[in-house]
Amino acid sequence: MAEAIVSVPATARRGEIIELKALVRHPMETGFRYTQRGERVPRNIVTQFVCSYDGAEILRATLHPAITANPLLVFNAVATVSGEIEFRWTGDNGFSVSEIATIVVN
Amino acid sequence: MAFMMGSRKRAVAGGVMLLSAAACATVSDNLVPYQISGDEIRAPLAALAGDAARGRDVLMGRDGNCLLCHAVPETGARFMGNLGPPLSGVGARLSAGQLRLRIVDPGRLNAESIMPSYYRMEGLARVAGVWQGKPVLTAQQIEDTVAYLQTLR
Amino acid sequence: MPAATRLGMVPDLGRWSAALSTILLLGAAPAPETPPHHPAKSGIDYASDDVRRMQADDFANPGMLWVAQGGKRWQEPAGNSGKSCAACHGDAAKAMKGVAARYPGVDAATSELLNLEGRINRCRKDQQAAEPLAYESEDLLALTAYVAHQSRGQPLQVSVDAAARPYFARGREIYYRRQGQMNLACTHCHEQNVGRKLLADTISEGHGNAYPIYRLEWQSAGSLHRRLRACYFGVRAEMPAAGSAELLDLELYLAWRARGLPVETPGVRR
Repeated sequence: MAEAIVSVPATARRGEIIELKALVRHPMETGFRYTQRGERVPRNIVTQFVCSYDGAEILRATLHPAITANPLLVFNAVATVSGEIEFRWTGDNGFSVSEIATIVVN
Repeated sequence: MAFMMGSRKRAVAGGVMLLSAAACATVSDNLVPYQISGDEIRAPLAALAGDAARGRDVLMGRDGNCLLCHAVPETGARFMGNLGPPLSGVGARLSAGQLRLRIVDPGRLNAESIMPSYYRMEGLARVAGVWQGKPVLTAQQIEDTVAYLQTLR
Repeated sequence: MPAATRLGMVPDLGRWSAALSTILLLGAAPAPETPPHHPAKSGIDYASDDVRRMQADDFANPGMLWVAQGGKRWQEPAGNSGKSCAACHGDAAKAMKGVAARYPGVDAATSELLNLEGRINRCRKDQQAAEPLAYESEDLLALTAYVAHQSRGQPLQVSVDAAARPYFARGREIYYRRQGQMNLACTHCHEQNVGRKLLADTISEGHGNAYPIYRLEWQSAGSLHRRLRACYFGVRAEMPAAGSAELLDLELYLAWRARGLPVETPGVRR
């Protein structure tokens, strides 16, 4: 599965407020469900999302059960310098996905 | 329509097919026989007594699933369908016998009806394995549902 | 289909069925009649505002994850041939545009009815010397979604010519056949009770123009056959396997009923 899709404007003016979008593929099993045989379905969720801009962390989110499968996070940032914006999701069972997009600021 | 023809075959006591349904006995494996008189089944199935409180559970729960198609505002349910008529006041409009036939086998009264027959096994096609050989509701559940519907006045 | 339009001026279902029987008896192949809901209305028009917005925004639409995945698979070599889809077809945006709008269709070489999933697997076998992808597998859903997505906005225009007619006739028969412990046919909900409520759900015309769809109930993308099986389950009928001849025939008939509707892949539904 395409693990993630992210959206970052290719270019922006310095000081401009930009919108960042990050969609990740994940089943988000809550850990509260049971099988028909009474066995608990183990929790399998994304626990943390971090966005870094030019090496500096600009957003950190802690995720919990019952948010959503395949979560989409949309947030804003101020365009400061040209560089890489990294999106990283980590979670249960060693889940780790990252996507990098570049932005040119002028 | 052609796909409905097979479902109209009936086992009829005495070998006489009474299409206007004056009176006939229907017998099927695992189903208790019942008598149709006009548009009613007057006698309770297997002479069972119905319990309205249990009937409300059947109507609202997964077994009857009546609210999928019928609105019954008296239940206080949040979501109710409208494929069938609302059942408010149905206890005043229809007798117990009329209600019973309309649950047991509504196709008797209207071959085009989309309402399933809740106490019938023959004339059905391609029934999934787990549901084969059993009616949708038991005789007791039907009597309970009839008892509940009679309280809607 | 001008002839079909003329016949379709008769809205009465009983007479329509009578005409159908005559066609079946004669084994002739005149143009099919027009169903009551014509022009067709897409399922998205019966969906709630939030679901509509979710489908309309490519970022809020999780089905795009499968489309993106399919784009990767399109470029990857597969099987003993070492060839990718792109090696033969090139740019999917050009080569695949409008293709999904013509499926299912009869394969000229084998006279078999193939839907998009079947065509992809046929290509894997014949062109890539690769194993077929399992129905409902992530990779097959992704490739199907990717190929169908290239036709987004194109009107469905499936062929029901002489070669397709036997499949079409069987599909129509299935549509009007009562089945299961609930003793219901497709027509009872999706033709006779469109717009009414089944509990909290509004019944749609049951078109397949948005598949594969992302269904919130599944929390995943899924095929039309998966959705059809859910209806069989609901009426408590034996469920044919995904990819089976029965569901293919029904898919063709449904595609004909939906003709003119734009491909929406990937659709979002509740």
